[in-house]
Amino acid sequence: MRRKLALLSIGALGVAIAASGCTQTGNGGDNNAKTTIQDSVVSYDPKDSTGPAPAVPGATKGGTLYNLENADFDHLDPARSYVNIQQVVGTLITRSLATYRESVKPDGTVKMTVIGDLATNPGIDVNKDCKVWKYTLKDNIKFEDGTPITSADFAYGVARSFSPQLAEGPHYVQNWLAGTGATSADYNKTYKGPYDGGAATPPGVTTPDAKTIIFTFPKAACDMPYAAALPMTSPVPAAKDTKLDYDRHPVSSGPYMISEYIKDTSLTLVRNPSWDPATDAAHNAYPDTIKFSLNVDSAAINQRLIADSGPDQAAMTWANVTPEVAAQVVGPVAQRVIDGSTQFAEYISINNLRVTDVNVRKALNTALDKTAVLKAVGGDLAGSPLNTIESPTTAGWADYNVFGVTATGDSAKAQTMLGTTKPDLVYCYANTPRRQNQAVAVQASLQKAGFKITLKPVDAASYYTILGKKDNSCDLYRSGWGSDWPAGSTIIPPLLDGRSIAPEGNQDLEYFNNDAVNAEIDRISAESDATQAAKDWAALDKKIMSDFAPMIPVDNARNYTLLGSKVGGAFLSSAYGVTSMNTIYVKS
Amino acid sequence: MLRFVIQRSLRAIVTLVAISLVTFALFFILPANPAQTMCGRNCDAKQVHQTLVNLGLDQPITTQYTSFVKGIFVGRDYGSGAFQRHCEAPCLGYSYRSNEKVTDILARTLPVTISVVTGAAILWIIFGVGLGMLSALRRGSLFDKASIGVALVGASMQVYFFGLLLLMIFVYGLKVLPYPQYVSLWVDPLGWLKAMILPWITLAFLNSALYARLSRAQMLETLSEDFVRTARAKGVPRRSVYLRHALRAAINPIVTVAGLDIGAALAGTVITETVFSLTGLGKTAVTAATQLNLPVVLATVLLAAVFIVVANVIVDGLYAVIDPRVRLGA
Repeated sequence: MRRKLALLSIGALGVAIAASGCTQTGNGGDNNAKTTIQDSVVSYDPKDSTGPAPAVPGATKGGTLYNLENADFDHLDPARSYVNIQQVVGTLITRSLATYRESVKPDGTVKMTVIGDLATNPGIDVNKDCKVWKYTLKDNIKFEDGTPITSADFAYGVARSFSPQLAEGPHYVQNWLAGTGATSADYNKTYKGPYDGGAATPPGVTTPDAKTIIFTFPKAACDMPYAAALPMTSPVPAAKDTKLDYDRHPVSSGPYMISEYIKDTSLTLVRNPSWDPATDAAHNAYPDTIKFSLNVDSAAINQRLIADSGPDQAAMTWANVTPEVAAQVVGPVAQRVIDGSTQFAEYISINNLRVTDVNVRKALNTALDKTAVLKAVGGDLAGSPLNTIESPTTAGWADYNVFGVTATGDSAKAQTMLGTTKPDLVYCYANTPRRQNQAVAVQASLQKAGFKITLKPVDAASYYTILGKKDNSCDLYRSGWGSDWPAGSTIIPPLLDGRSIAPEGNQDLEYFNNDAVNAEIDRISAESDATQAAKDWAALDKKIMSDFAPMIPVDNARNYTLLGSKVGGAFLSSAYGVTSMNTIYVKS
Repeated sequence: MLRFVIQRSLRAIVTLVAISLVTFALFFILPANPAQTMCGRNCDAKQVHQTLVNLGLDQPITTQYTSFVKGIFVGRDYGSGAFQRHCEAPCLGYSYRSNEKVTDILARTLPVTISVVTGAAILWIIFGVGLGMLSALRRGSLFDKASIGVALVGASMQVYFFGLLLLMIFVYGLKVLPYPQYVSLWVDPLGWLKAMILPWITLAFLNSALYARLSRAQMLETLSEDFVRTARAKGVPRRSVYLRHALRAAINPIVTVAGLDIGAALAGTVITETVFSLTGLGKTAVTAATQLNLPVVLATVLLAAVFIVVANVIVDGLYAVIDPRVRLGA
């Protein structure tokens, strides 16, 4: 779980696994814009995990798909991959124990199912206490060089994710194995991975035979089927572990392998000859080749896709349409848009260590004109106003309006709440044009209600470093978050479990710490009934906002991206919050 | 000549040392932690510290600087244990952000910038100087007025506008050219030409305008000098007067400006590279600066300085070739 990166316009950082509220539109007449709530399903039906993936009506095999992106991928090493688009690329190259199978339903919504990927199912809870999880590998799974994949390769993949040098990925499984808190940084305090004399299998992982891998956790970890879909459960052959260089060429266990990777320029994927579609229920892998053009200017990406000529007709992007070209997205071009809400939420964090009066925090929530703040960063194209901590794509999400105000806020009501108090607050923002605009909108909105807001620019590159310090000198600041899978467990605990607060490097940017809330977090975390847990997380979300108002939810980010006219089978992935590549094809 | 080369080399070394020291110092003054930005948001304090150690940023600035200089001549190691990396000489540093040697980054991005600048420079010198000379010879004519007008338009134009205009017309509108995507000249000459043509025209149009005005002014001034009048009076053919006498005298200031312009452009044509999405040296340098990627910033700044210094030396050498009155070492 991690926050959305403030500096990137690609759309988002953060693993993204959303369960509901997915929207998809698209091209080729196989999609239409719609937003629908749905629940993800962890499927134990063997048929669901058995390949090949269901055929997409009208899809054709072959051709070259182009993907235009405005930056390179930070990491393709499965241990280090934590950005949603990197993970989408990653699933094409390195498969995990589990994965998400998504398909477009006749009503235009997306059905998402957690299934076994290289394993036969998403994980067996051996003792029904969420502490021991068993995975059995499928037959005929091989690396790109034809070497059979064994359980030892999975154990090694998990082991290397403990290494401090490969620490950029998610740490759920590592923390569960170590018995540390879900978001703790202490997971590798004793075991530091297989390098420099470390064991090739981490504590808590056993491989009784070549086809079985067992995870034993000291505490219950009921979300393991979702965590097993993270890239860090991918197999890595120890003999081909090039450590930091593995980022450049992770050994393929998926439908594609890397043919050429020129940093900051291009990535070319070609078919993996050792991939057996009969083992893969999620990837259709229709294109023969996928070429990523990296570091392309965002405006150029949109203009090229609008122009729709030559190879760009078979191109896609994960870069949102920017406001300056939005007016050109009409008529036939509008039919080539992938539009919908994502799991990413934006907030204005209130530093609860500095703004200690709950009445002031509630007045802030009442006063803020979310529409104006959103307009400053792109308006409708950027997202839609949000009242909740959870994004609408979270399982069990329930909307509420505890302050009884519309998205434009109510400055008069806030003024009444404040009485004679005129709080003098510092709003810190990343010093970029986008955030400067937003800061001015926040200031104008809150000052109407009687707050005195001082704007303080912060170096954009160090934004979260500075605000992640417990003793930072800011009262208010923008933050963002995307859930790692469709559960409140990847939203509420990392953002608001005060026991994780450290002197620096904090994710709980509100510095909110309440014993009752922490106890409730523990209770829900141990809930093995996913449906009940989803309801409980949503209830806790509402209780936190109504009783403590530690933050101001501002908006739910929107995906609004273009495709070329010859791209078919595209839809907005509920799992990753961007256009899926699993069912995509090039029209002949 | 030898004295000239030694003198200039010593000056160049002093300049480069000064620039590297200033760049180093600037990064120490910045209220930010490069290790944090390189490590990423998911890194905790321990991992940030590890990155700091791997980069050698935990060392005093003097140690860091001497390690950097040593790396250039004998190479150096980064990290420790299983993750130790050796960076061969000339080692300009190691980017932990992209996990590669800075020299690899330069090897990838420099050809892009060289491709852009070389073609554009040829065009802007040929057209700019040619236009300026012809205007001077036909002073007051319609051609002169038209070329001055064009020069004014070019001089007032901005790369980000003209570049986008060309893209709008030739790529998005007429669709006669593909969107520029760099390929090596040695791999695909036609693809390279297609990718470079619009950046060349953009840079050349804007720069040739300035050169046209400069050349015209220089040529007019030279044509009014006594030695030209004398040559004409002696019955030297008009062609010889212009090409052998006047042009040779007028070209010196243009060579100076061209040398510096090309040197500066090689250091990175940031806006052109951004407009055409070409990952050259300039775009890489700007990205590195925003990411506080010290090794890459330092290397690109130094390389830029090398280009400027070398361009100056070449210009000084050319003076002597063009104008025998100039003596090297003076």
